[in-house]
This record gives sequence, structure tokens and C-alpha cells, in this order.
Amino acid sequence: MVSKPIKVDIWSDVQCPWCYIGKRKFEAGAAAASIPIEVEYHSFELAPDTPVDYEGTPVQYLAERRGVPAEQAKAMIERVTGIANAVGLDYDYEHIHQTNTVISHELLHFAKSKGRQLEMKERLLKAYFLNGEHVGRIPDLVEIAVELGFDRDEVTEALESHRFLPDVKADMAQAREYGINGVPFFVFEGKYGVSGAQEAETFANVLAQVQSERDA
Amino acid sequence: MDAMTAPLPVIKLEALGDPGAAACEGDFCAIPDHHTQAVVNRRLDDDDV
Repeated sequence: MVSKPIKVDIWSDVQCPWCYIGKRKFEAGAAAASIPIEVEYHSFELAPDTPVDYEGTPVQYLAERRGVPAEQAKAMIERVTGIANAVGLDYDYEHIHQTNTVISHELLHFAKSKGRQLEMKERLLKAYFLNGEHVGRIPDLVEIAVELGFDRDEVTEALESHRFLPDVKADMAQAREYGINGVPFFVFEGKYGVSGAQEAETFANVLAQVQSERDA
Repeated sequence: MDAMTAPLPVIKLEALGDPGAAACEGDFCAIPDHHTQAVVNRRLDDDDV
């Protein structure tokens, strides 16, 4: 008998380095566990007050927003880049465009309405961390969507009308209901919470435990 | 107070996994100590330091 998939709801932001690393680790853990899963991503805006056209570098951003000295910020970025590299992700912080991600979350909900959210999630993370693409402006996001085969007029209308903004807000409200303060955050079967970019082995163990308890 | 500002009840989740795993909160993404040590170890292995 084929087991019913484990539902995994993941709160994540597009410009969250641990979310991409955690995504890779989760995928590796799920593959190792060989347990059927159904994944749904949810919006979480880490810095909703960031201007869309923020001009500074990630180092300047950390310095301005958090008062982190430039040398320390560089060291932090070097460390997270090294950790990303260990899971096969070549972060390009030299060309990252720090921005406001709310419209990219709207695009994720648009893609979800077409049954293609997972594909869009991967593409947007790749756009931000690997390709140096802008993920805050409608024209740039439309180009990404068109590249994936979405209809240009339809996606433009969806983003310009902000008709998926209520879905973004609903995700944020749900995160507050769960008491989620940071991302990535994984909710299994609406009952178990796992915070952060865990090791792949941990995700595999969690999936096995959740399945075992659910099917007991 | 409208529906958007009313306090929401917190749904209790059973926590699993390592509570110290790396995550981003607000506009800050902390790097846990064990990750820092892992990178140092890797660089030592690679004779980079």
C-alpha cells in the first residue's frame, strides 16, 4: 500500500541564505528517507521595510541596518558562502540585489495557482543568490516567469494588480499563529515544527518520526 | 481593532530537530558556532589557513 504523503509547509523568504541552504538539506533528507512528501511554500518577509531599489551592497545593508562593522559583515558573508558551497550552491554576493521581496512572494502565489510553485521557488532563489537578478521589480519578475513559460500578459496583470497580496498576508498571519519568528521554518502535518536549516539527516529522521507517529 | 491587527492565537507545534539550527530573523541571518567551526575545519583540511 502506498503511504499518504507527509504534508510539509515551509515558511521562507527569497533573500534568506539559510532558506536556500535549508531547501537543499531538506531535499537531501527527504530523498534519503524515501518517504512521500507534499511540499507547500509560504511567504515570510524578513525585511518588509527594505526599499525595492535599495542601492547598497549586502555589506552596506548589514552595516546600515544592524550596525555590523564592514569587516565583520564581510566575514559573515564569506562564512555563509562557504556553507552554501558545501551543499552545491555558488552564492554570488558580489552581484546580489538587496530588495523588497513582497512582489516575488506574490509571484510565488501566482505560480501556486497554476500548480507550479516549487519550480518558481527554486527559480527565484537561484535568481537572487546565484544569478544576480533583481527579484523586487515587476519587469524583472515577469521576465523570470516568462522564461519558465508563463503567459507574459497574465503574470504582468497579476503582479500589477497585486491580486495575490492577500495570500502573502495570509501566510504571514499564519506564521504569527504558529509563533514563527525566523525562517526557514518547516511544519510537518500541521503538528510538528522544525526551525532552521537542519542537517539532511535530521530532516530524514523527522520525516520518519512523523510518518511513524501518524501511521501508528 | 480589526481582523488584521487583532492578536492571533498561537498554535502550539511540537518542536523537532536541532533548536540551534541556522535561521534568519528579521534582516539578520546569524551563523551558529558549529557552522563557523565546520568552515574553519574545512579550510584547515584544504590547507587554506
